[in-house]
Amino acid sequence: MTRSWLRPAVALLVGAVFFVPLYLVLTNVFKQGDLIAKDPASLPLPPTLANIHAVLTRPDGLFWVSLANSVVVTVLSILVLTVLSAMLGHYLARSGKRWTKVLTLVLLAGLMIPPQVILIPITDVLRVTHLMATLQGLILFNVGYYVPFGVFVFTGFIRGVPVELEEAALLDGASRMQVFWRVVFPLLRPATASVLIFLGVWIWNDFIDPLIILGPSQGTTITTGIYRSIGQYQADLGSVFALMFLATLPVLIFYLALQKQFVKGLTGGATKG
Amino acid sequence: MGEGGLTQLAAVVASPAPPRTRRSPARGRRRKPILPRVAHFASFGAPGVLVYLCFVLAPILISFGYSLTNYNPFNPPVKFVGLENYRLLFTDEQFLIALKVTTILTVIVVVVPNVLGLGVALLLDRKGWLYNALRSVFFTPVILSSVVVSIVWSRLLDDRGPLNDLLRALGIEHPPGWLSDPDVALYSVASIVCWQMLGFCVVVYLAGLQGVPAELLEAAEIDGAGPLRRFRAVTWPLLAPSLTINTVVLLISAFKTYDYVKVITNGGPGSGATATIAFDVLQTGFDSNHVGYASAMAVLMLVIVAVVTTVVLNFLRRREVDL
Amino acid sequence: MRRSLALGAAALLAMSACSVGSNTGGGNGGDEITFLTFETPNLTPAYWDAAIKRVTDKNPGIKVKKLVAPTADGRTSYAKQLLQSGQFPDVMIAVDSAGFAEAGNLYAWTPEELKDFQFPQANPVKGKYYQLPANTQTIPPVYYNKKMFADAGITATPKTWAELETAAGKLKDKGFTPFTIGGGKDGFPSSMILSGLVSTEVYATMPDWLTQRRQDKVKFADPAFQHAFSKLADLAAKGYVDKTSVSRDYAATEQAFLDGQGAMYPMGNWFAANADTKKHDFEVGVFDFPTEDGKLVVPAYTGGGMIVNAKAAHLDAAKKFALGFQLDKDQLDASVKADGLFPAIKGYTPPADVGPTFKAGYDLYTKAVQQNAVVHAFRWETADDGLLPGMKDKVDQAAQDVITGRKSVADACAFLDTEWAKAG
Repeated sequence: MTRSWLRPAVALLVGAVFFVPLYLVLTNVFKQGDLIAKDPASLPLPPTLANIHAVLTRPDGLFWVSLANSVVVTVLSILVLTVLSAMLGHYLARSGKRWTKVLTLVLLAGLMIPPQVILIPITDVLRVTHLMATLQGLILFNVGYYVPFGVFVFTGFIRGVPVELEEAALLDGASRMQVFWRVVFPLLRPATASVLIFLGVWIWNDFIDPLIILGPSQGTTITTGIYRSIGQYQADLGSVFALMFLATLPVLIFYLALQKQFVKGLTGGATKG
Repeated sequence: MGEGGLTQLAAVVASPAPPRTRRSPARGRRRKPILPRVAHFASFGAPGVLVYLCFVLAPILISFGYSLTNYNPFNPPVKFVGLENYRLLFTDEQFLIALKVTTILTVIVVVVPNVLGLGVALLLDRKGWLYNALRSVFFTPVILSSVVVSIVWSRLLDDRGPLNDLLRALGIEHPPGWLSDPDVALYSVASIVCWQMLGFCVVVYLAGLQGVPAELLEAAEIDGAGPLRRFRAVTWPLLAPSLTINTVVLLISAFKTYDYVKVITNGGPGSGATATIAFDVLQTGFDSNHVGYASAMAVLMLVIVAVVTTVVLNFLRRREVDL
Repeated sequence: MRRSLALGAAALLAMSACSVGSNTGGGNGGDEITFLTFETPNLTPAYWDAAIKRVTDKNPGIKVKKLVAPTADGRTSYAKQLLQSGQFPDVMIAVDSAGFAEAGNLYAWTPEELKDFQFPQANPVKGKYYQLPANTQTIPPVYYNKKMFADAGITATPKTWAELETAAGKLKDKGFTPFTIGGGKDGFPSSMILSGLVSTEVYATMPDWLTQRRQDKVKFADPAFQHAFSKLADLAAKGYVDKTSVSRDYAATEQAFLDGQGAMYPMGNWFAANADTKKHDFEVGVFDFPTEDGKLVVPAYTGGGMIVNAKAAHLDAAKKFALGFQLDKDQLDASVKADGLFPAIKGYTPPADVGPTFKAGYDLYTKAVQQNAVVHAFRWETADDGLLPGMKDKVDQAAQDVITGRKSVADACAFLDTEWAKAG
């Protein structure tokens, strides 16, 4: 093929241009603080870990507190969501009744709802149930808000599981719970992976809900923590970039480790037939 | 948040109904006993439905309820005002501006990453370590927090930031005020959102491209069709599901845009240059405390999203079936 | 697999129940109160921690849980949000009392409790006083780069508006940016000049203009207000104000002035603290905001103190902490150095080792007090005599729109009137 170097060259060029903002963050994390404003695009020579160190050893422990909060909220949310939406999805997929079809549509509609529509009343609901400004409250909100997504991933996959398997197990005397968890759930691994990955990333990166629901007394999550710190760090660009870098690292590692599952889950419905 | 929420939706919504599970035998009992059925629902279905009810459905109803009052927590007493808030909204210039801002932003965010995503996907549709690496480069922004993306870009686009410095070095004496010029700011914010969402479209299209059977393409080539013709006749129709997913996901994300506006411009510069409806709702509700009025805005927002999404989804789905 | 899942979940649940956050506790050996603060380049987390410790060391029965608002300029909005979500803090610093007070959320100080303050009757809300009038700030004097002034051949600091415009013209001819402004997510750096104009022009003849506005006796669209506003438009039209700066947030704006990117910096006197401690390779001077005819009129705001939640669980502890914070000499000295404040406490004089910029500003202020030339600072009032809730942002936006040329002065004033009507 003539000009076989053309495609890689163009691809590299486009990729490089696209990568520039990320490059800027990476190079400035390791650059000495006062050099950043003067020459943002240069390579960090000499490189320094001072910025990262400053963030990690901040006296109020902002990074660690936020990290802990983010981890607790995210992990608990996705675990509860997986269990709840798998079971609900199974129930809806196996039932042929009309009212469950309606219920399914009602859940489907939930995918479109912008959080702003419900945030103001949510604060009232949580306040009445004494769950406002608690991690539990935020977790419950996440579960309610993302259950539609979980249900749809699971219903799609469950329809591919032959119902005969379940009926055989039921005839053998197993309870419905046992049938679900021992027979069906293990077959849903791709669906579970999709749910855990996508909801994990979204909830981790969520900004507006922790900002409003969690409030200041429980510490910040990693996203709201970054937002709060720019007020103080404006002149200290090294710390801002270091904080953002450290905050992104968990998600980045998570993604790079599970790249294949990410893409598979994303494109499950992208091909015809 | 919820950007990929519709990925499975497209696959599931119009998928053929599963073969009906066998009914309980008609002879003998006419229907299953009630208690086990209730117990089944209670253990499997109820928890999920309950949480959804409490944290999504009930608040929507409450929102609607608030929208019919003049509720302001700092200004009691609360009065029922019927549809007055809605009437006021349609004559409120700030709201109409927000509507315009949201529309412009949505159109840009739905079209640009879609088109460019297809281009990049076509470019990267090859095997090899280079292309794998580049795929990761494009997808990385998608998993970044919107706050991080917003902060990085607002530094980049600052008048004394790297981009304008570069433009000045290239000889452009007065580069635009990307975020300070009210006529430009909205397009800058929209571009930032596009930058983050591009990788998503790329990955979806790549998967779609990989599902195009090579034999069809070869057959077309043998028939004498050039690359453009092959694309139009074979590839593009088979990419219809990818187009559906990308469009719907981008549509819903664009409508929800709040994080970027809050962190980059706070709705400015000036009044309403970049204030989307989503942003206005929270500002009116929390900063100005007009909860009743803000709820009316939120309800309208929900109606608009629902209608537009349903119409677009139906149109695209029908197109898929036709092709 | 399910077992380990369940175990893991249980462990995390237990962790979440013992709220991972700042120091909790309370009850064991002290009354715990929550204290809402905000962070700026002046007011770092270290500053607040030290300040809190100073007061709790002298009051061992009080335990303080520090809360931080996400942005400095949005701290009042944040307090509103917290109130609405049932998390109203016990004590808040420099949060506007308007809005909260009318709905009965704040504790009203008695005259006895206010006896140590110079202006116990500042910031009334329906005749009562909810915010401790702890310090006075002149908003804005004009800080300037002495080197640039010398280079441009400006020998005397401007006293009249005409002299100011002449100076700006000379600076521009020399290639300097005459005024340093900002905006961005903080808003107020855009409206500093407007505050100065309205305060020195409109308030000079009608000191209670905003009170009259609340009674609808005057409007923003009136000639007096428009005339003041149009001077800002004039500066923008002549290019003395750089319209590309309106997206730059407060800290970046301050840094720009310290980096020598602008000649004049109209800003509240809290800037003096950083002018004296941060690096800059030119001498910083300060002069009063010029008036039309050169008569001395100095806008200032007294307040900035603590407000207390009327329904605090430990009200006495909260009040004690608030008063202790405001009246402790060491704390006052620290706040003078950190935030450039002029404490409005009877018998207080700033320590001798304050920086030169602070001293210059303080001398200007004492002169104004002696000549009875102090007026309110437009946009910075926080009580019955100030803007309606939500209007501060609109004022900032209106200023930005005029600077960028998006709105004419008439349109901007009409906008303010429309928003005022909605806010009422």
